[in-house]
Amino acid sequence: MSARVIAFGTALLPPLLLVGAWQIASSTGLFPPQILVSPADVAGTIAELVRNGELGSHLGDSLFRLFWGFGIGALAGLAFGTALALSRLFEALFQPLFQAARQVPILAFIPMLVLLLGIEEGFKITVVAVAAFFPVALATFDGVRGIPKGWLEVARVYRTPFPSLLVRILIPATVPPVLTGLRLGLTRAWLVLVAAELLAADNGIGQMMEMGRQLFRIDVVLAGVIVSGLIGFALDRGVKLFERRYTRWRVA
Amino acid sequence: MTAQPRIQPQSAATDAPASGALTLSALSKRFAIEGRALPVLDGIDLSVRPGEFVSIVGASGCGKSTLLRLIVGLDTDYSGEIRLDGKRITGTSLDRGIVFQDHRLFPWMTLEENIGLALLNSEIPKEQRARIVCEHIALVNLTGFEKAYPHQLSGGMAQRAAIARALVTEPTLLLLDEPLGALDALTRVHVQTELQRIWMRQRSTVLMVTHDVEEALYLGDRVIVMAPNPGRIRRIVDVDLPHPRDRSSPVLHRLRDEILAELTGAPDPENLVRFPAQEPR
Ligand SMILES: Nc1ncnc2c1ncn2[C@@H]1O[C@H](COP(=O)(O)OP(=O)(O)O)[C@@H](O)[C@H]1O
Ligand SMILES: [Mg+2]
Repeated sequence: MSARVIAFGTALLPPLLLVGAWQIASSTGLFPPQILVSPADVAGTIAELVRNGELGSHLGDSLFRLFWGFGIGALAGLAFGTALALSRLFEALFQPLFQAARQVPILAFIPMLVLLLGIEEGFKITVVAVAAFFPVALATFDGVRGIPKGWLEVARVYRTPFPSLLVRILIPATVPPVLTGLRLGLTRAWLVLVAAELLAADNGIGQMMEMGRQLFRIDVVLAGVIVSGLIGFALDRGVKLFERRYTRWRVA
Repeated sequence: MTAQPRIQPQSAATDAPASGALTLSALSKRFAIEGRALPVLDGIDLSVRPGEFVSIVGASGCGKSTLLRLIVGLDTDYSGEIRLDGKRITGTSLDRGIVFQDHRLFPWMTLEENIGLALLNSEIPKEQRARIVCEHIALVNLTGFEKAYPHQLSGGMAQRAAIARALVTEPTLLLLDEPLGALDALTRVHVQTELQRIWMRQRSTVLMVTHDVEEALYLGDRVIVMAPNPGRIRRIVDVDLPHPRDRSSPVLHRLRDEILAELTGAPDPENLVRFPAQEPR
């Protein structure tokens, strides 16, 4: 227990030092205060944005898009990855296209999607879905393909009925790689969403930052940086906790 | 492992099981590798009595695992015939169990879930399954580990768990593919003793592949010696000793030397070292 407290404190040290250095640098007066806002001011801005509900509203919009985009992309990725792993024909048809398309940076899809979908909700949800799709599809494909043949033979020997085979063997065997893929997909989706909102949106955490930039409110921009970073961190950690809980049998 | 329970000396005639007769006739198997046919088993004829324990030894690659896979029904592409109690084998069935060299327990299932898995498709009523699983865990001396995950078991325990899983359906024929191959020497001796005790209790027909000639002789009523390329039966050795056996029995030692000589090829007189000053050996 105390080892964990120490580890936690150790991990907290660099960020605290960074904020300290930032505070000192901004209080020297060497940099114009509009450019280098002090951490205290940013904290004040965050508190203000929370109080007047602006942050909550932007965050709500962003998380709404993340929820739908990630949900759609992850489900599509699960289905696509499974089909790719199980069907020879499907693999012959789609594997090359899939392998090529997943090399394209997601942000490069944005101009094309804007042309096709405009900059409304549909566009942002699609970008997020695309970002989530690739890592989930890849992890699912690897996970299903990677099920050891020996395990399937055990199921054949005991004539395990298909529903049980699916629920007790196939799904648990693919859960660890798929969860890793979902985690990767979720954090990617968040990154891409914030970027897409910076480029084209009427609301959302990215748009809040873009507005801040246009109004020369660096404190608002930095507030957005901090909040989006914390959200990404929390999403990653959340799935990791879930992973650890449901794959406890893996740890020796 | 605790002291052995009382074992009734085997009385051949009275408690011989009625089912579990395995017959292989003209059994051949070939694999196609890069378009060419590789004969792996060629003309295997064998008849195993109900309740008999037959060991199989032979050079690695001579088709022992392939033979067991055919008998268990994982591979149905062969020529010749395999019959269990007169019925032709066409696929897997709960009356044939198998233990692989790697225990193949599922890491996300507890010991009792792993063993219970074998009963999912059995005719045993659901409410009796837990009890039967429990009995088989006790049979392999793993009581107390019902909720343990495979990574919490030692190699010997995991292999015993795999044996319990194979036995829980009460198969008439049990196939063992080098089940103790991955264990250290001391654990092996323990599990061999366990296996003998279990077999004497269950009295199912057993076909065990092993690379350990002593193990084959200690457990087997007969030892099949196979020859490679393609796999054939070279010789069948009867081990006419009652169970449970004494490892130090001179009969076992003599048979071991014979089989080892057979497997490593007859000694070439040219290579024998002669000691002219000594009496003939
Ligand atoms: N699925 C397979 N495809 C092609 N060749 C195989 C296959 N399985 C086994 N073989 C070949 O058959 C031969 C016998 O293999 P195996 O039955 O595993 O031998 P053993 O168990 O006696 O060591 C080996 O030469 C092996 O390479
Ligand atoms: Mg083998």
